[in-house]
Amino acid sequence: MLISLLDKLGQLGQGMQSNIINSDGRERQASLQGRWQQARYVALDLETDGLDPEQHRILAIGWVPLSVPRIALNAADYGVIQSDQPLSQSAVIHQLSEQDIQGGEALAKVLKRLAKSLDGAVLVAHHAGFDWQFLQRAFNQQGVACQPLALMDTLKLEQTRLQRQKDWLEKGELTLAACRQRYGLPPVRQHHALSDAVACAELFLAQAYKIVGAQKTSLKGLLRYSR
Amino acid sequence: MALDLQDMADFLKQTPPFDALDNARFDYALDHAEAVYVNQHNRDEILREGHPTLYVVRSGTYDLNDKHGKFIERLETGDVFGFPALLSGRAITNQIEVLADGILFCWDAATFAYLRRYSEPFERYFMQAQERRLLVEHRGEDSTPDWTERDIGSVISRPLISIGSDTSIQQAAISMSENKVSSLLVVDEGQLRGIITDRDIRNRVVAKGMDYGVAVTAVMTQMPEAVYTRQSLFDALTMMNQANIHHLPVLDDEERPVGMITTTDLMKQQRSEPVFLMNALFKAQSREALVEEAQNIPHYLRTFATRVKDIGMVGRLLASLTDGMTRKLIRLYEHEHGAAPVAYAWMAFGSQAREDQTLSSDQDNGLLLADGIKEGQREYFHKLAEFVCTGLADCGIRLCPGDVMAMNPKWNKTSLEWQQQIKKWVQSPTPDAIMHSMIFFDSRMIAGNQQLYRRHRDAIGKIAQRDIFLGNIGRHIGELNVPLGLFNRLRTKSEKGGDYIDIKTQGVAVINDIVRLYSLIEGLTMPATPARLQALQSHNLLTAKDNQNLLEAWQFLTQLRLSHQLKLQGDSTEPVNSIDPETLSTLQRRQLKAAFSVIKDAQQGVGFKVGRGL
Repeated sequence: MLISLLDKLGQLGQGMQSNIINSDGRERQASLQGRWQQARYVALDLETDGLDPEQHRILAIGWVPLSVPRIALNAADYGVIQSDQPLSQSAVIHQLSEQDIQGGEALAKVLKRLAKSLDGAVLVAHHAGFDWQFLQRAFNQQGVACQPLALMDTLKLEQTRLQRQKDWLEKGELTLAACRQRYGLPPVRQHHALSDAVACAELFLAQAYKIVGAQKTSLKGLLRYSR
Repeated sequence: MALDLQDMADFLKQTPPFDALDNARFDYALDHAEAVYVNQHNRDEILREGHPTLYVVRSGTYDLNDKHGKFIERLETGDVFGFPALLSGRAITNQIEVLADGILFCWDAATFAYLRRYSEPFERYFMQAQERRLLVEHRGEDSTPDWTERDIGSVISRPLISIGSDTSIQQAAISMSENKVSSLLVVDEGQLRGIITDRDIRNRVVAKGMDYGVAVTAVMTQMPEAVYTRQSLFDALTMMNQANIHHLPVLDDEERPVGMITTTDLMKQQRSEPVFLMNALFKAQSREALVEEAQNIPHYLRTFATRVKDIGMVGRLLASLTDGMTRKLIRLYEHEHGAAPVAYAWMAFGSQAREDQTLSSDQDNGLLLADGIKEGQREYFHKLAEFVCTGLADCGIRLCPGDVMAMNPKWNKTSLEWQQQIKKWVQSPTPDAIMHSMIFFDSRMIAGNQQLYRRHRDAIGKIAQRDIFLGNIGRHIGELNVPLGLFNRLRTKSEKGGDYIDIKTQGVAVINDIVRLYSLIEGLTMPATPARLQALQSHNLLTAKDNQNLLEAWQFLTQLRLSHQLKLQGDSTEPVNSIDPETLSTLQRRQLKAAFSVIKDAQQGVGFKVGRGL
């Protein structure tokens, strides 16, 4: 994700009142009311060639399913999206080459795989609103049905936690790397969709246990920290 | 599908045994991994899920404890655990204590089995790791060692500060204060000549009113004890303790001085118990204070044993602590009763001398007195011996039931008297004589006059080189009972309601006897069995393979015995030197048999080489 432009991203996320996407049906309701550890999560990260879902495209998607406290690395997945269009300046950050992109998979194909895990699960991402806007658009365009239960934003979880301790946040305090460091998680290679997805999954677990501790908390309860 | 999880791949590539997998198996391991976030709240549910799992620590810090909560191992980044349950198929009984939350990578039993089956190094790693505390473990490279196992070279940070031998004392003092150091190496043309410390300047110059313009050679310690960069910090620690010095010059492999290591350097490594315990023993102002500090030793050794991979270090450490206490007691005695009237050497025998002491070892020691001693002067040494021996007993090193102690006049003699005694033993080698002489030939000087001891040790070494005597020892060894019966079956003896094998008398001691005999033949005077075996490599009595086998058998048995003793609770009635083979794993039983068959072969070898009159 384009971390240097977080300020702009912040605006994009505003106005979202609820982080619940679709809680229709008995199963989804049960997940929401049930213990947070029982819910199904998918941690995800996108590489895009810009910040605007209207005009920019997804270059790569990495995701990993999570059943607390386990991260199913063996079920992790990663897809580079095929395109013949030239890359923009964003290549400096995500480090995908034109060859990578040309040799990628069809967007629909990757989305279908993703939908199998993500539909009905809680989407976990660092600045989840941003990823979801891109994804939602892509799902619609490609005619792939996928509705996560809710968005769990590790950036907002961190913001909530930090704002309870102090009222002024320095720039850069909320990057994925800075957040991870706060929990003693080892540094990882950044801006690779799958690495970041796994990094985000680890961060989420660390945050959730820090927030919840030994209390019994529902998914709904935990989601409140991510608004 | 080999996932592009670069961080994990990078990490595992450096983590044994995954680093030894070929590419295909490595990808297989990556593809079949899970990660789990562990903290104090969920640790129980993770381990109690009950599926045996292989774990590798990615981040965080954990203590692995047994089901009674007893500490086994500290786990940090790169450590592997969980495999005993996988290997044995038994339920998981260990628990973890989370000191810092973090991530573990996990693999299920099927993946573990697959990797073991298709990768020999992987399989071997776990076979060895399973016996980690019992088998020879290759030091270094492939895992994070305890700080005491680190190279001395890795902790020398300051550049070498040295002066030439023609430097004046005043210049040396100026150099010390400019460099803010308390000692300097005296070096000429890259060769170490000596060492001078601020204490030398205080004691040998200022206190004596000596001229500051004199060259340092007049007051430096010449040819000081030194260590090499590739030796371990533990080596430095024991040498400082044994020589009672706080500064050690460090040399490279070409004998060139490269720096200095001090007790402060060691303490900086960690707030670590060996140094602090030794320091506390050194600093004790009275017998009472020393005895009180010594009560911590057994507890301390237990935790030390869980941390180091080579449990043989426990024997060395205990010997080193006993040395330190002995010297302290001698100094306390001298403080009260004045300096000794004649030169003497306090000698340790047996396990303390060989540095394979255990918690159940009793004291074996003796005094060597200068030949010119007058009758009236002996009283001083009898009282000294009484003071030291009973002091050691109060410190937990029990009195010798066989009375092999300096407080017994038979073990408190002048050099000439000793030589006569030994000649008598050599000429009429009764079983008793052989036993006593054997104790005597494993000796090490703990305190006193180095020259007196050296000359004496060489003299008695020569006395021992008589064929009849050596032949008798050979025959004695041939009669020892190795507990291996027909078809290589372990022969146990009923004792205290169980079936046991005495691995001390029937194992360790037999190897010690064999190695001692060969050392006597070759005129080697060092006492430790591994050091003797190493020295014997350049002689023809043992083939390289037999030599190696004996060393491994010795290490296996001493470690097995030590870990058995460390497991016993204080009030246990189980024998301390015996083991019921039924309580061992299949692998350990196999190794035990292998060790005894090595001993049996070596025993027969002695018969061929020595029994028939050399």
